[in-house]
Amino acid sequence: MNSLDLDDCFQTALDLAKEAGLIISEAFKKAKKVEEKTSPRDLVTETDKLIEDQVISKLQELYPNHKFIGEESTAAGIKCELTNDPTWIIDPVDGTLNFVHSFPYTCISIALWVDKKPCLGVVYNPVLQQLYTARKNAGAFLNGERIRVSGKEDLSRSLVVMEMGYRPDEKKMEVVHRNAKKLIERCHGTRALGSAALDMCLVAEGAAEVYWENGLHAWDMAASVLLITEAGGVVLDITGGPHDLMNRRVLCAASPQLAQQMVQLLEVYDEDRD
Amino acid sequence: MSAEEQQQWFDFALDIAKRAGLVIKDGFEKTKTIEMKDNPRDLVTDTDKAVEALVIGEISKTFPDHKFIGEESTAAGAKCELTDSPTWIIDPVDGTMNFVHSFPYTCISLAVWCEQQPCVAVVHNPILDLTYTARKDHGAFLNGKKLSVSLKDDLSQSLVMTELWCRPDPAKMAVATANAMKVIKKCHGPRCMGSAALNMCHVAQGAAEVYYEIGIHAWDTAAASLIVREAGGVVMDMTGGPYDLMNRRVLCAANLKLAQQMVELLEVYDEDRD
Repeated sequence: MNSLDLDDCFQTALDLAKEAGLIISEAFKKAKKVEEKTSPRDLVTETDKLIEDQVISKLQELYPNHKFIGEESTAAGIKCELTNDPTWIIDPVDGTLNFVHSFPYTCISIALWVDKKPCLGVVYNPVLQQLYTARKNAGAFLNGERIRVSGKEDLSRSLVVMEMGYRPDEKKMEVVHRNAKKLIERCHGTRALGSAALDMCLVAEGAAEVYWENGLHAWDMAASVLLITEAGGVVLDITGGPHDLMNRRVLCAASPQLAQQMVQLLEVYDEDRD
Repeated sequence: MSAEEQQQWFDFALDIAKRAGLVIKDGFEKTKTIEMKDNPRDLVTDTDKAVEALVIGEISKTFPDHKFIGEESTAAGAKCELTDSPTWIIDPVDGTMNFVHSFPYTCISLAVWCEQQPCVAVVHNPILDLTYTARKDHGAFLNGKKLSVSLKDDLSQSLVMTELWCRPDPAKMAVATANAMKVIKKCHGPRCMGSAALNMCHVAQGAAEVYYEIGIHAWDTAAASLIVREAGGVVMDMTGGPYDLMNRRVLCAANLKLAQQMVELLEVYDEDRD
């Protein structure tokens, strides 16, 4: 492997996130041109495509040997494959439904994975001006200030972030419903803000204790999983096994004890892998 | 109430809300002293009490003839009664659960009602520095920028804000859950932020199209109801009847057409009046 200058990569990720942030902020206030992808709730806008093209082009120019996994490229048919090679994983606009509604909870997410592990992550919400960053073994930060998970171990004192959005498959919707019911009865409170990457950031900063999702994509979590582990939290598969970036699920928690309580409660269903 | 009085009350409300915001922000970053009120999810902190005491103290000095309805005063036994007299309705920390968790959606909500109608409203989130204001017949604003509700009138294209929390009464819980499931199936997406006042403000700013809830209190909606109406939205009872400040429920929407779609969908149960 050619030498990898991670300082340089991190600075590049920051610069690209900020440039993308300007585009998102501008477009946020205006009417958007929206297309449906797989369903009326699975949307893409010109902004998603523009940002992804811009980010990938710039990264290809700077790092011609690196690989890429991007939400819109994958939607366009490019194979989604994680190897040991340095791989940039990009969600140009996470929370596209929020973006379309001008609901101020949307972000760009950029991660670099090497040897199938995350080594840097940037999640930037330009509407609320929240810049989350992490580098392996160097901590997690929000707008330059160190963040840590809350460390709570008791589900009854924990805020659980979970998205209750509609899934077309009845059986899957029933699992979501049953899981939600169990959690509502046991936890301190539930929250849903509509962006997986930012939901996970809430756990990293200690504002919530748990996030889980069955159905998200690699690009939604590639950066945020590092933010959580660098903030002292745990990231697992919902079954309790190790986290698998491509299996469409994640469970993150402020402590291993909390994660175990969740594993014991939650039902799981399989989605097609990324 | 004269135009001059309305302006004077508004200027005072804004100023005291900002001062209260400093107290909230200071408390937000620290460990909180928490007491349970009715149940483990119904909390009050020293900050709630300090803010309410500050606000009522200052208002009493300047407007000695005015009346008050405050969350913590009511909890301490003060009668919750709305007359024609100018009445300040105060939620010192809306989203106390969020405040306790350092989850950044918390605010002071301050309204002045006169002749049993809202005439001045301030909702201030000092953590994200978001200040929503309204004066009757003068529009609604966020950080000085004029607000307008969304133009969408189709529930399937609408974001619906609500809260999914554990109601101890199983019959009430069943209704709340059934409502949530119906809404999730029909709407574009559900969102839960944990603060009634801020949920309503998001409808006012056009970021979401609907908010409904059973179980809130007068002080949760007293200000935000004016903000929604001044932004062009509608506020009513979940049964379709007129908004009743004291009946523990609210439905607000970007327009009547959306509100009607919700009224047809939702079941209602009664709570003890404020």
